[in-house]
Amino acid sequence: MQLDFKQRELTIKLVYYGPALSGKTTNLQAIHELVSPESRGRLMTLETKDDRTLFFDLLPLTVMAGKGLQIRVKLFTVPGQVIHNATRRLVLQGADGIAFIADSQKSETNANKAAFLNLRQNLTENGLDAAKMPLVIQFNKRDMPEVRSDSEIDEMARKGREPVFKAIALRGQGVIETLVGLFELTWRRLEKDHQLGQKFGVEETQLLADVRAKLGVKRVAREATR
Amino acid sequence: MSAADAEAVLADALSAGSLELGEVARLEEVVDRRALGEVCRSFFELFSIPVRVFSSEGALLADAHEEQEICRYVNTLGNGRRACSKLVSEVKGIDPEAGAVTHPCFTGAEYRIVPIVYQGRRLGRFVVGPYMPAERREVPRSLLVLDARLDGEAARAALQEMPRVRAETIQRIGDHLARVLDLILFSGHRAFLTSNMHLASVKESFRELVDKNTQLQQAVDRLRELDRLKSNFLATVSHELRTPLTSIIGYSDMLGSGIGGELTEEQAEFVETIHGKGEHLLALITSLLDMNKLEQGTMRLHREIMPARALIDDLQKTLAPSAAKKGVILVTQVGEGTGTVFVDPVRIKQVLFNLAENALKFTPKGGTVRFTANVTEAASDDDGFGSVLLSVPRRAVEIGVIDSGIGIAPGEHDKIFDAFYQVDGSSTREHGGTGLGLSIAKRIVEAHGGTIRVESEVGKGAAFYLTIPDPDDA
Repeated sequence: MQLDFKQRELTIKLVYYGPALSGKTTNLQAIHELVSPESRGRLMTLETKDDRTLFFDLLPLTVMAGKGLQIRVKLFTVPGQVIHNATRRLVLQGADGIAFIADSQKSETNANKAAFLNLRQNLTENGLDAAKMPLVIQFNKRDMPEVRSDSEIDEMARKGREPVFKAIALRGQGVIETLVGLFELTWRRLEKDHQLGQKFGVEETQLLADVRAKLGVKRVAREATR
Repeated sequence: MSAADAEAVLADALSAGSLELGEVARLEEVVDRRALGEVCRSFFELFSIPVRVFSSEGALLADAHEEQEICRYVNTLGNGRRACSKLVSEVKGIDPEAGAVTHPCFTGAEYRIVPIVYQGRRLGRFVVGPYMPAERREVPRSLLVLDARLDGEAARAALQEMPRVRAETIQRIGDHLARVLDLILFSGHRAFLTSNMHLASVKESFRELVDKNTQLQQAVDRLRELDRLKSNFLATVSHELRTPLTSIIGYSDMLGSGIGGELTEEQAEFVETIHGKGEHLLALITSLLDMNKLEQGTMRLHREIMPARALIDDLQKTLAPSAAKKGVILVTQVGEGTGTVFVDPVRIKQVLFNLAENALKFTPKGGTVRFTANVTEAASDDDGFGSVLLSVPRRAVEIGVIDSGIGIAPGEHDKIFDAFYQVDGSSTREHGGTGLGLSIAKRIVEAHGGTIRVESEVGKGAAFYLTIPDPDDA
């Protein structure tokens, strides 16, 4: 997080984490398409020639909220391939919130688990407190065959404490909900640690409504159960 | 460059903040000035309107212009020069926050100042102009009253030279240039991040390696310490074991020789066994001690010059009885001019005796064991690079113990010199031995600066050769 009182500007870093090919980049592409052009920057992809993420994707979003507070949100993805762990750890530095993109296919259960354990370890190694890190989980690729059923995911979501979202990122379903859900959690954490609302004269409900509206979300689509 | 230096250089190159958020702090970081200059020049060639790019601190980064006729004329007048430089610094000082603005010149011309915004941040601005708005027809009063010496007709003529642009056109041109600059910024930024990420990844991998190396070093240190403890333990235990063993051997010897009274045949046999096994145990413990001394490098050699033939003859004499008993023929062969050898006779005899015993052990009845001695040259342990200078040839004596026994498979040749290694574990039980003989032999020979090697194939006998070099001339 970066605060500039003079410019009334807040910069937040959100990282999309998950196993290889779970749809992290696709999430960013969908967000880029769905968010209104004045709020978004260019999507930057540092990729290899086989189109797999080499370092990261970066999508900057800018939202004016509350009483003239400019919120700049930087969305990053990490490379999912196991060998790129050094890069993942680097991208994770200074993260304010994390969206974990899991693959809904049953065959990917172990890959999800391994990526999550890797996330936890990298957080610790970066000196970040995993227990305090705002985290949402997205089960992507809901349209694939052989996926975990909705009721299975709902059941898992009830047991866990992180908000869970279902998505088909290729069709843009559930991606904005995930983003907004993560933004809310992150804002609340930052608010708790830095009393941003008081400092900038921003009221939470209004701010979140603004952000939702600016990001082009017409309704509060929270499929998730807490 | 040391590891710490390398890290410092990398840390400098990274300026962590910019990487963490992927920010561009300054325009100069990500754009190539020459490329920027070329864009401006091509813009100027296309529209004939001057253009300048400034950083957010107001530094001029790129510039393409030719002095306009009117400017040249105005600058010939004292008041004109003053007014012009005042205006130029005004225009330079404008940093539009909310979007592009237009600033008028006293000549009636205009400047358009457009902010360069990237990822929600103003990184600088560009100034297009001066140009003449297409709608303006009259020479403005502000120009006419500028200087008493001003010639209205000359000014009008000069103004005619100026490029004329309509308001919406200049807006479009401005937008277009903004977009081009945005693209240049984007690709520059992308390259900037990529190279920084490369550096950071290398640094991170380097850190991981350093960590692993430290762990390995610690493991090695711990093992070394354990090895030292083991050696100490071995030395102490061996020594303590020998004392009572000497008594066992001594008393069983006395018992066997009938000092304590006549023994029945069975008792004598038992006592003989106790004595024999006691001797064997003592040999084993002595070997262990030798091994330990060799490992720790505490074995002292008492070398002297002696004829090689003496060694061979001695060996032949010692082994003759057991060879005769087993029906194995012993042959000795000492080459011409073999002369002397520089050795610790006790230790080298121990080695040769050990090899000869082995040879006897594995040679069947009717077979032959040969002892040889010849002059040769000490083998160079160098790989040949500069060996002309590094290893001056030295005379050496090669002593061979060659049998016609069961032989050793080539795959085993390296391992037989390892401590406790035996080609076939069962051979210890069948033939006796501790499994330390060859290992000790190798170490003793090496302590003499020599080498030991084996030539053998299964079923074709085995030949062990030790090469002992003469002392250094120096």
